[in-house]
Amino acid sequence: MTSTDVLIVGGGIVGLVAAIELAGAGMKVKIIDAGINAGSTANAGSLHVQMQSRFMRLYPGQVPNIEASLPLYRAAVEAWVDLDAAHGPFDLVRKGGLMLAESPDQMAFLEQKVQRETARGVRAELLDRAAVDRFAPWLGQQIIGAELCLDEGKLNPLVANVRLRAAADRLGVRIERDWISAITVEGGIVEARGRNFTHHGDRVLIAAAWGAGPLARSHGLDIPTRAEPLHMNITEPCQTRIQHLIQHAERSLTLKQLGTGQIVIGGGWPAEDRGERTVPGVLYGSLLGNVALAAQLIPSIGGIRIIRTWAGMNTTADGASIIGPLPRAGRIVMAVPGDAGYTLGPLVARMAAAEMLGRDPPRDTAPFSPGRFAAQSP
Amino acid sequence: MARTMPEATFTFNGAVIPFRDGQSIAAALTEAGQRALRRTAQGQDRGMFCGMGVCQDCLVTVNGTPNKRACMTAAANGLTIATQVAFPALDTAHAAPPVGGARSLSPDVLVIGGGAGGLSAAIAACRAGASVVVLDERKVAGGQYYKQSALKGAPLDTQQAEGATLLAEARDSGAEIIQGVEIWGAFDGLLFLAEHDGAALIARPKTAIVATGAYERPRMVPGWTLPGVMTTGAAQTLWRSYRTLPGQRVAVCGSGPLNVQVGLELANGGAEVALVAEAAPPPFTAPLPALRAALADPALTWKGAGMMVRLRRLGIPLRNRTVLTKVAPEGTALRASFAAADGSRQECTVDALCMNDGFEPQNEILRLLGARMRYDPIFGHLRCERDAILETSISGLFAVGDCAGLGGAPAAACEGRIAGRAAAARLGFGEATDLYAEQRLLRRHRAFQAALWRMYRSTPEAGIEPDSDTLVCRCEEITFAQLRAGLELDPGHVGTLKRATRVGMGRCQGRYCGPVAARLVARETGAEMQDLSYFAPRVPIKPVSISAILAAREALDDID
Repeated sequence: MTSTDVLIVGGGIVGLVAAIELAGAGMKVKIIDAGINAGSTANAGSLHVQMQSRFMRLYPGQVPNIEASLPLYRAAVEAWVDLDAAHGPFDLVRKGGLMLAESPDQMAFLEQKVQRETARGVRAELLDRAAVDRFAPWLGQQIIGAELCLDEGKLNPLVANVRLRAAADRLGVRIERDWISAITVEGGIVEARGRNFTHHGDRVLIAAAWGAGPLARSHGLDIPTRAEPLHMNITEPCQTRIQHLIQHAERSLTLKQLGTGQIVIGGGWPAEDRGERTVPGVLYGSLLGNVALAAQLIPSIGGIRIIRTWAGMNTTADGASIIGPLPRAGRIVMAVPGDAGYTLGPLVARMAAAEMLGRDPPRDTAPFSPGRFAAQSP
Repeated sequence: MARTMPEATFTFNGAVIPFRDGQSIAAALTEAGQRALRRTAQGQDRGMFCGMGVCQDCLVTVNGTPNKRACMTAAANGLTIATQVAFPALDTAHAAPPVGGARSLSPDVLVIGGGAGGLSAAIAACRAGASVVVLDERKVAGGQYYKQSALKGAPLDTQQAEGATLLAEARDSGAEIIQGVEIWGAFDGLLFLAEHDGAALIARPKTAIVATGAYERPRMVPGWTLPGVMTTGAAQTLWRSYRTLPGQRVAVCGSGPLNVQVGLELANGGAEVALVAEAAPPPFTAPLPALRAALADPALTWKGAGMMVRLRRLGIPLRNRTVLTKVAPEGTALRASFAAADGSRQECTVDALCMNDGFEPQNEILRLLGARMRYDPIFGHLRCERDAILETSISGLFAVGDCAGLGGAPAAACEGRIAGRAAAARLGFGEATDLYAEQRLLRRHRAFQAALWRMYRSTPEAGIEPDSDTLVCRCEEITFAQLRAGLELDPGHVGTLKRATRVGMGRCQGRYCGPVAARLVARETGAEMQDLSYFAPRVPIKPVSISAILAAREALDDID
């Protein structure tokens, strides 16, 4: 027995929401956060549900896992709506997401995608240009139609992070800054060795996104978590006109307007990886390409100015989330979203927390068991 | 047929505003008594503050295009100008078509900034035989020290005449000087992306000399964001570049010799200077630094002493150990309150209040490119590490003048001459083996500066007023109390504070609030100030229109 019931490695959206769940159930919780290169603190606030064309193109092998996860994404947005009611407001707007097509090929791709998604319970439909014009007349002339996914939305992650952090504080969650390099279990006590201190707890929840893979390795799991530094841009404020989350059927783009009136442009253009302990750098090719694409789709943004760019941090493994205890070390529990970590974060956190509390998780965690990464024994 | 030639005019919110050829929109509006230019999200009026394109508070809508800086945009006949609303409509935000075509440059030496340091560097590099391009932000080069007139007419005084000579010398040397260039991107391998009259300018130089100078540190008191409150340098630019007084009745406050100088210049220009408030004690109370300054540079020390005498002759009250405590609107004027160290208080009513509490280096390009910095606790800002030839830790990247840490114009010019020759020599032009005399002169300038600033208050205060509603972040309208709350939530790093409170997330990109927030976090955590204490350097260096980014992309596609 230690004085901490659960150590949480990672203070991003997953760690914070798990801490709120666990501390709310009476547990003593300590979060250890490295304070650098976190996905949540650099997130842009898209709530993704439909399959992202960028991801399908880059990781075709992971598409079946993503497709199987579609109901999870829907439930994840519901979890955000819950959180917003309990701890918000987070400027959450759920008008849906538009994935734009510029060619008949892209329309055909979207049509097929809509069928696959609706089969999994996603509220998606295909719109022609006239239908799109009813709420997005400002789109470029070349847009011939779009997929509208009504489950999608957006929020202001800065607001959400601060409010959730405050909620965790109110529940007595301690947050310490450290970089955990190894986790061991001995005599029923978990030891997390950090650069500054060694931390102890009865159990540990690994909510460290791309940092989760290395921590699981010594426990016989080979989880290929990978950090993807992604370029982001934000404009100065202007009158709010863009209600939907905007994406493209073939090219890398997400665009949305926040409650502040600022337009956030991203969508998976690479940033320069400068190692795990240094923030990523900005690549001019990404800045120019990403912004040009946005202006091509919404020409009226040409006169407003970009005031800042930065790099977000997405984490991928095999496309599906990783939730639950390690097969050979049950005191170590994983909570890593499969992709779109900020969208999935609260739900993944709640599922992992429910497992730790011995409660029924909001969804079945079996398909997301870390056991699937057990290293092949020779 | 008209009886007389109509004078040049534009309209501002419907009112007809006359202007003189060469005046900026901000200067013409100031002359017409129009000070409120922008409306914030919280409904507050803002006006010209920095006068040099940094603060983004003088934004106006010009012919339907919002987000134009009145201080950097020339007045033109027939313009329709309006107050910038907080949330301009998207479809009015169309971009003006570019004036010229895209340009791509690859000079031996690229000089960034056309002030004392940059022009001196350009002359030295050119004379050694290198091809040199100077990129300067303003309509006329000269920088903040030599501030050239944008109007026709003879130089105002020796300082302006010296600047005109230096500028002519730079032009004669063969350096190409391009005016009105806004550099918004700097990338490894020395690639600079810029906007020039709406068109793209791409520079891939062999070496670069950064000479971007400094901007002014404000004193953050209640009311410091009111229209009519401006930096001392902004007031000086109004007068020296546009022959416009910031107001009929003015007060100047802060610390440092610039305040006295500008007080005198405005008085000579016809303004009534109600007060010059200096935070430091009088120089005679610091005889040792005064003596050291006199030994290092007798001429400049004499000039400084002369300014004090002239101030007295003109009957302008100079109050030492006196600081601004508050500014409040009073009709169309401002009521400024001051407190002295002896506890006495003083108030005056002015049209314009000028403030300069020291300087912050414009080191954005240097930091973006990864040049090594160290914190100077005396001046309270970063200094760029440089070797004897002023090269930074990045090979081929030189830094001269105040952008590398405050040093003054004479030192900047000296550094420019050294770096210009060294950069040229790097590429095989000239030897640059006999820099000894320049380096000795530089040591003297630096000794003078060190002694000079010991007579003033160069170290910034931490600046916290607990539970105060005073704004720290002009753009996002964040108060000291909000910063305090953010610090209590998570004191870790200035980046954390930024995300928690939005401090520094606005158009000026944290130029004013950033150093204050960094010092507050350092004080809270006990961490030493260093490069990483500040907001991470980010592209764009200044806000850049999406159409300018498109133009840069096209231009780069054409090159590659």
